[in-house]
Amino acid sequence: MKWPGALAVLVAGAAQADPVVPQFTEETASAGLGTIYDGDWQFMVGGGVAGFDCSGNGFPDLFLSGGAGPSGLYRNLSAQGGALVFERTDAIDLEGVTGAYPLDIDSDGVTDLVVLRQGSNRLLRGLGDCRFEDMTEEWGFDGGDAWSTAFAAIWEAGADWPTLAIGNYIDRHEDLFPWGSCTENWLHRPEGQGFAPPLALTPSHCALSMLFTDWNRSGQPALRVSNDREYYRGGQEQLWQIAPGQPPRLYTEDEGWQQLRIWGMGIAAADLTGDGFPEYALTSMADNKLQTLRDPASGRPDYIDIAFAAGATAHRPYTGGDIRPSTAWHAQFADVNNDGRRDLFIAKGNVAEMPDFAADDPNNLLLQSSDGLMVEAGDRAGVASMEVARGALVLDLNLDGQLDLVVVNRWRGPQIWRQSSAPGGNWLQIRLAQEGANRDAVGAVVQVLRDGVLEWHDLAVGGGHASGALGWLHIGLGAADRVDLRVIWPGGEVGPWHEMQANGFAILRRGDAPENWQPDG
Amino acid sequence: MTLDRRLFLATGLCALTRPAFARDPGREALAREVLVTWHRLVLELVRHTATYSPPVAARAFGYLGVVAHETLAAMDPALRSLGGQLNGLARPHVSEPQADKALALHSALSDAAGVLFGNTGPMGQRAHGTMTARLGADLATELDHETRTRSAALGQRITAHVLDWAAGDGGAEVANMGFALDYTAGPRPEDWQPTSLIRQQQAPLLPDWGRVRPFAMPADAICGVALPPAYDTQPGSEFHSAALEVHEVTARLTEEQKLIARFWADPPMLSPTPPGHWIAILLDIADRDDLPVETLAAALARLGAAQADAFIACWDAKYRYNLLRPVTYIRHHIDPDWTPLIETPPFPEYPSGHSTQSSASATALSAIFGEDFAFEDRTHLGDGLPARHFPSFRAASEEAAMSRLYGGIHYRFGNEAGLAQGRCVGAYAAALEMRA
Repeated sequence: MKWPGALAVLVAGAAQADPVVPQFTEETASAGLGTIYDGDWQFMVGGGVAGFDCSGNGFPDLFLSGGAGPSGLYRNLSAQGGALVFERTDAIDLEGVTGAYPLDIDSDGVTDLVVLRQGSNRLLRGLGDCRFEDMTEEWGFDGGDAWSTAFAAIWEAGADWPTLAIGNYIDRHEDLFPWGSCTENWLHRPEGQGFAPPLALTPSHCALSMLFTDWNRSGQPALRVSNDREYYRGGQEQLWQIAPGQPPRLYTEDEGWQQLRIWGMGIAAADLTGDGFPEYALTSMADNKLQTLRDPASGRPDYIDIAFAAGATAHRPYTGGDIRPSTAWHAQFADVNNDGRRDLFIAKGNVAEMPDFAADDPNNLLLQSSDGLMVEAGDRAGVASMEVARGALVLDLNLDGQLDLVVVNRWRGPQIWRQSSAPGGNWLQIRLAQEGANRDAVGAVVQVLRDGVLEWHDLAVGGGHASGALGWLHIGLGAADRVDLRVIWPGGEVGPWHEMQANGFAILRRGDAPENWQPDG
Repeated sequence: MTLDRRLFLATGLCALTRPAFARDPGREALAREVLVTWHRLVLELVRHTATYSPPVAARAFGYLGVVAHETLAAMDPALRSLGGQLNGLARPHVSEPQADKALALHSALSDAAGVLFGNTGPMGQRAHGTMTARLGADLATELDHETRTRSAALGQRITAHVLDWAAGDGGAEVANMGFALDYTAGPRPEDWQPTSLIRQQQAPLLPDWGRVRPFAMPADAICGVALPPAYDTQPGSEFHSAALEVHEVTARLTEEQKLIARFWADPPMLSPTPPGHWIAILLDIADRDDLPVETLAAALARLGAAQADAFIACWDAKYRYNLLRPVTYIRHHIDPDWTPLIETPPFPEYPSGHSTQSSASATALSAIFGEDFAFEDRTHLGDGLPARHFPSFRAASEEAAMSRLYGGIHYRFGNEAGLAQGRCVGAYAAALEMRA
């Protein structure tokens, strides 16, 4: 497929002429989030936030990286549809934290937390009621001693324990000559009820984002790695084939992988074109990429960039008067206005005080319009913050069906926005569950048949910028008040179609009928 | 010597900062090491700072070379100041024969690098600060207070003098990484059109760079180029044939030709840029041949002036002719699916910038080292590209020019015009008098 064709079908079946701009109300002052991502150059990257339910009430709680300062776990006290309210717990106050991702590592039904750090990474086992215990050593996990900045997880075929990929940045002890000092990325594979010593994912090129993704719908996710060209020598973006029982292997130019060298900082994936294959947003500096397969039928990982054609370059501030190029970090696809089209949020902020790049660099909220183009709406939506952003999450914090937003800023406190739009399009939120290993079905695909069009929604843990969520999968439905939905479970089993009513929550247990869910009270 | 980090650490700064520093055989050799070490750092800063497109990098290298030579000239009456020789530069009228060369150079280069390469990011700033403090402290160890003070002050004074001169050349302020904020394509079919999918590069790079004040080349006698072939879309015409040659050559590239294209690609932010490539060549020669510090400083000043002037002359010509790139022509008139081997730079084609500046560099270096001076180019070892051996600077410049045809980003006539223009430009730098 040529890129104009890809663009032409970027959105299938869209009916509205222009995207409805959602309205966000900033509730930073009252929400109770106090952790600051602090520190000197050792924390110029990272600054992640994890969203997951540690209390068991279904509402996403938040864990915030603190950089050189203490990190913080916040219990979500918000009422459904109400103001965003959080209460800090004393459960986790690790220092040196750059990011975190939730994952039920031991498949006990309670979400655990992978904490990336300057220093030894930690695996925190969830005990319920937002309590945790450090199981790093008990699970045989080598936390290492590096500047960890990227993470992705998957259950490889047949495994009852996850495989964890960790990306590392420059040698932090190299204070004079950091260029070319990228340290090894690691692949932690299972060994019994724990982890084997990590494999080095070499060559390593200063990864700032990683994502297991089934790019060719083979059922075997590969590992995409986005790398920061500021510090590597001879590096590029990477796609690792991770075959069970086999050493990791990089896809090559002969196989179709094209060299791309950017200041890779974040990865977001979603099928925007409706062909079932994910597109990838890659954040960088002065330019951002939106990749689609050149020819999906070829089976080759050969991508072309459609960011310019799609209006998704987000290369320069669009408000505030600073015309210097932008610096982009966390990227996430989500349907923020429930119009049935996936939009793109990008967190922006200068590395520190780089004079070539914008100091006043507003976050982007790119709304997908009916013609497939992305339309900037960050300022109109009220989220065009000029703080120095890093990690972020777009998720429904008060379970009203409208996505909210939390952004981690360097040196300053995080910001949080409640979506306060008038009710508009319909939505659906689901959680997957299965017995045995991989309780949350990480790696599954949710297929939605809406108005005759098939949508693909991947359930992944990884990507973004040091930030990840595990919990309700939000799907915007537009005008549809019911859709058909099925799950392709990890391992490839295709579940039955279920008719789902809009504007509700449902838990899909493998082999069972959907179970409606409502928060207490 | 290459830009490889391990080699750098093994032979450069570490040699100066380890305790054995005090046993170094002489301050003269130490002064040369200071000069090399600072230049190796700025090569990294150029690679990792967005401002430094090739013309901007060449300008900064040029002034840094002048700072080095003028600092030494202020201590050595056998050297001739470039004041009065370079456009608008007055003699500093400073004489400090008792100053220490190593510390004076360190002081001068630290200050100069802090301004000329000041757009670097936090790690570059940190490296600059660490280098300044650590190297400065080590260099001062064996010196008495008066010598330390005199040497540091000399370096600072020379740098201030040169930077004051540099500030008025029209190239000191570079906004938006050098890209115009708006651009309206010219009306002629041969006018340059954007070739990149990067939004920022829909406007060309540094359209006014041709008006920057040159170093050695007279501002009112900028080296020009002959008219390019008349634009024509008819098969068999000179222009069509030139484009067809690009298409045909790139269709049957040998592995060696692909390697040559990539070796001289020198893309901004992924390499020290084309002018940095030639600086790296000179630094390697300095290490290999133990060049005296005065010789190296003079060579850096000459090379820097030649390169800076080359980009000024080349950019002046580029925007006079505003010629479209091969990728634009070929896709419209020969093969709509054609893609060049390397990325097409975001500015007009004629003449080839790498050809102009490589030819100017070769002219300047040949004037110093001779026409048949063989050397090994190890610039890209750290990026996995093997060293290349050249029998002369001229041969290297000609290969650099040909690499643009292999890469599919220039017509042959653009390369040849660049080589000729570079010879003209380089002659001015070669004529500079470095000794009294």
